[in-house]
Amino acid sequence: MAIKYPDTAVKLALPKGKLLNPTSALLSTAELGFKDYNSNTRIYRLKSDNIPNLSAKMLNERDIPIQVAIGNYDFGICSSDWLQELQTRYPSSRVFKVADLNYDRSAIFLACSNQLPLTLNALTKSSQCWRIVSEYPALAETVACRMRLKRFRIFPLWGSAEVYPPESADLAVLKATGEESLAQLQLLPIHKVCDSNACIIANRDSLESKDLSVLLARLSSAVKNYNPTVEKPSFKTLPSMSNYSYRKSSGYIRMALADGHQQIHTANFLKKTTLKLDGYTAESFQRRPSCNLDWVNVKVIRPQDMPQQVANGNFDLAITGRDWLLDHLYQFPSSPVEEIIDLKFGWVKIVAVVSEDFPADSIDEIKRLTSSAKFDILRTATEYTNIADKYLRDRHIDRYRVIPTWGATEAYLPEDADMLIENTETGQTLRKHRLKIIDTIFESTACLIGNRISITSLHKRNRITEIIKIFREAVN
Amino acid sequence: MDIQRCKGARDLLPEDMERFRQIEDAFRNTCINWGYREIKTPTLEYMYLFTATGTLTPAMLSRVYSFLDWDGWGGERIVLRPDGTIPAARLYCENMARQDIARLYYITNVFAFEETGTSDREKWQCGVELIGNDRPVADVEVISIALEAAASFGIQKIELKLSHAGVLKALIAEQKLNREAREALLDEILEGNWQALSLLKPKIKGQADIISTLINLKGKSSGFLANLKALPAVSQNLKREIDRFIDITSLLDSLGCKYEIDFTSIKGFEYYTGLCFKIVANGSRICSGGRYDNLLNLVGGVDRPASGFAFFIDQISGLIKPPSRQKDWKTVVVRTRNKSETCIKTAFNIAGALRNAGLIVEMDFGGSQLKARWVVNIGKQPQAFTLIDNITKVKKTAGKVDEIVSIIGRVGNGD
Repeated sequence: MAIKYPDTAVKLALPKGKLLNPTSALLSTAELGFKDYNSNTRIYRLKSDNIPNLSAKMLNERDIPIQVAIGNYDFGICSSDWLQELQTRYPSSRVFKVADLNYDRSAIFLACSNQLPLTLNALTKSSQCWRIVSEYPALAETVACRMRLKRFRIFPLWGSAEVYPPESADLAVLKATGEESLAQLQLLPIHKVCDSNACIIANRDSLESKDLSVLLARLSSAVKNYNPTVEKPSFKTLPSMSNYSYRKSSGYIRMALADGHQQIHTANFLKKTTLKLDGYTAESFQRRPSCNLDWVNVKVIRPQDMPQQVANGNFDLAITGRDWLLDHLYQFPSSPVEEIIDLKFGWVKIVAVVSEDFPADSIDEIKRLTSSAKFDILRTATEYTNIADKYLRDRHIDRYRVIPTWGATEAYLPEDADMLIENTETGQTLRKHRLKIIDTIFESTACLIGNRISITSLHKRNRITEIIKIFREAVN
Repeated sequence: MDIQRCKGARDLLPEDMERFRQIEDAFRNTCINWGYREIKTPTLEYMYLFTATGTLTPAMLSRVYSFLDWDGWGGERIVLRPDGTIPAARLYCENMARQDIARLYYITNVFAFEETGTSDREKWQCGVELIGNDRPVADVEVISIALEAAASFGIQKIELKLSHAGVLKALIAEQKLNREAREALLDEILEGNWQALSLLKPKIKGQADIISTLINLKGKSSGFLANLKALPAVSQNLKREIDRFIDITSLLDSLGCKYEIDFTSIKGFEYYTGLCFKIVANGSRICSGGRYDNLLNLVGGVDRPASGFAFFIDQISGLIKPPSRQKDWKTVVVRTRNKSETCIKTAFNIAGALRNAGLIVEMDFGGSQLKARWVVNIGKQPQAFTLIDNITKVKKTAGKVDEIVSIIGRVGNGD
C-alpha cells in the first residue's frame, strides 16, 4: 500500500537540553529521518530525510508548549510540567497532549527546607506572607490558592529554586524525581502538585484540520516499542549542599553569585580579589560556597533572578549583568536596586536583530514599515521582555508583540518572529544564522548591584563598604 | 470598521445607560429609604485580601485580573476588584470599625476573566451590607430590601430561593474526611456540582438519607426544615444549624414572604456562614446574598457579624422595559440656520430661558438631530420665531422670548 504523505508542511518543535538524547532515540525508532537531531548539532533547523514536507526546529523545552499553542508548530515534545504551567496560566491555549512518553518521569512538589520544616497546618493557619519561589509561577499560585494560604508572594525564577529555602524563600515549587532527590537538596516535600513526564503535544487546530496521520502513526508505534534505559538521576552533577546548616543570620552580608555561563568569568574575577571562595570553581561547585570572610553568606543563583532578589532584601549584594539590572528596573522603575561598581568583565552589547532578508536596515525603517497597512504586527522574540517592551514603546512602533523566550532566541527568525532583542559579543553567531543587527540598544558588563536600603542600614553599612572596597581595588 | 474594543469588554450606549441609571436610581432610592449610606471602594486591591482563607474560592481566584504594580518587585500582586463584598468589608474594618452597626450600599464594577470573550469580563453590581447584627431579623431585613428593590426595577415574576451554608458546612464536617478530600469536595460543591456530595459514602448510618433529602427536595415553608431536623441520624451540630435556619424562615412565614428552600440553589458560598439566598427572574439569577459572620475577621481582624447581597445589573438590564421615551417629548430644539452673531446669541438666550423653565433644550445649527416635541425656529429676523409642535402639528409665531417660554413651558410642565 502506498503511503500517503502529508501534502502540506508539518512542523515539529524538538527540545534541546536534557530531553534531547531520549527524544532523539525515540525519533530514530520512529524513523523520522532527523539525523542531525543530536547533542553535537550546531543547527536549529532540521529537515526529515524520510518524510517529505516534515521539518523541525530545536527550541528550549520551556518555549515549546507556547510555540505549539500559537500555531507555529503542529507538534512538540516537552515535559508535561511546562504544558501544565501554560494551561494553568492560559486555560484556553490551543494546545493538546497527544501521548505520554515513558521518560523524564518526575513530579512537581511544594517543598520547604528540611532545616526549617513547615507543616501544611502551620502554612494555612498563619497569616504570615509566605515567599514562594518557582520556575512554575502559575502552578505555584494555583497550589497556594487551593491550599488556601492566606497571604503569599510568588517569585518567578529562571532556575535554581532549590537553593532559596529557607533564608531567601519559605517555599519552593520545583521539579524532582521523588522525595529522595528532594532530600539530597535538603528539601522536604509538603505537597505533590502534579506528576510529570515527557509528552507529545499538538496544536488543536492542526489536529482538527490537517491530516497528520503518517507522522502520528510512526510516533505511536515508536512510543510502544521504545524503552529507554531507566535514567539514573544524576545527583553527582548536582552542586552539593550537604555542608549547609541553617543559622539565623541578621548581621551577615548575603551575596549572590552567578551560575551558568557567567560562573567562570565571575570566578576568574574573584581570583583577582582578596575574597577567597571555596566551592565556586570549575572543579568544585557548591550552591553555598564558603568565604574567607565568615560574615559573608554566598549563594549561587541565576543572574537573571538577582535584581528582584536584591530588591526584596533576600540578598544585599549580587554580581550580575547590567542587562538584567535594566530589565528589572524597566519593570519596576522605583526599585531600590542600583549598580554600585562596573566590574568591566563579561562585555556584551544588546542589539535589535532581524533576518538578512528583512526589508529594513534600521529601526526607523521598521517604524515606517509597521505603520504601513501592509504590515500587521511586529513579533519580537526576546529573553529581555521589559527591555524589548520599553525599546519598542519608546520608538513608537505601531503594533508589536513581545514573545518571551528562554534562550536559543536566534532560532526564531524568520518564521516565528520578525525581530529579536538579543545580546551578542562579536556578532558571529548572528551572522552564522543569517541575521543582521539593525540597532545597538546599550552595552552591558558585569556589575556589583546592591539594595539602597540595606547599603545604608546601620548594622550592615560597614561590612558592605568593606566588600565594595575589595571589588573596587580589583577593578582599578 | 475593525473592532478595537478589548475582547470581553463592552460599550454602554445611551440607551444602555438610561436603563442602567433606571436600575441604579431605583436601587439607590430603596437603600436610602431603609437608612443605608453609599460607599465606593477603589478598583485596585491587594490580592491577599481575596486569598485569605474562605474569602474567594480557588476557581474564582484563578479568574482574577492580577498583576505586579510598577513598584511590585516585592511580588505582592494587585487585582482588579473581583467582588464587591470583600472590599466593602475591608473599608468598614479600616474606617468604620468603631461604629457597631453599619448599613452600607454600593454600586460597583467587578472584573473576572471569562475564557471565550463572548460574555463580559467587567460586570456591574449593586449591593448592601448590614454589619453588626447577627440576629435572624437582620437576615430578614436584608431579604426585604432585596425584594423591594427587585420590585422597584419593574420585574414582574421573581422567585426567592433559600439555602444555608451553616447546615451544609456542618453536614460536610460530619463526613470526617481528611483535609485534602474535604477541600476537594468543597471545591466541587462551590462550583455547583452537587453530585459530588451524593456520591459520598457516608460513614454514619442514615447520613445518606439526609444528603438525599437535602439535595432532592424543595421546601416551601419552615415545616420542611422541621421535617429535616426530625430525620434519624441528625446530629446535635446539624440540628443547631437547622434551628438557625428555621428562626429565619418562620419570621419570613409570619411576614407572608414566599420562598423556596433549595439547598442546591447556591454556589461559590465559601465566605457564607449562615443563610444564603438568591433571587431568580425569568430563569436567570439576578441577586445573591447571605450571611458571612467570619468575613470581617478574616479581612480586617474585626470580629463582627454581617450579611448582605448584590444585584447583577447586567442580568436585570435584559429583563426590564426600556425607560419610557416620553421624556423626549419634554425636549425642545432651538434651531437656526443663520450664522449671524445676533441669531446665535438669540438662540442661546431662548434656550437658556427655556432651560430655566425646566425644559431640556438642544441646540440645532444644522445636521440631522433627534426628534423633539417643540422646534423653535429663528429666522433671518431675530425678532420673529416660529414654534412647531410636533404632536399637534400646530405652527405658531412668537415675537418675544417670554411668549415662547409661556407657551412651551406650560405644555412641558404636563399640560
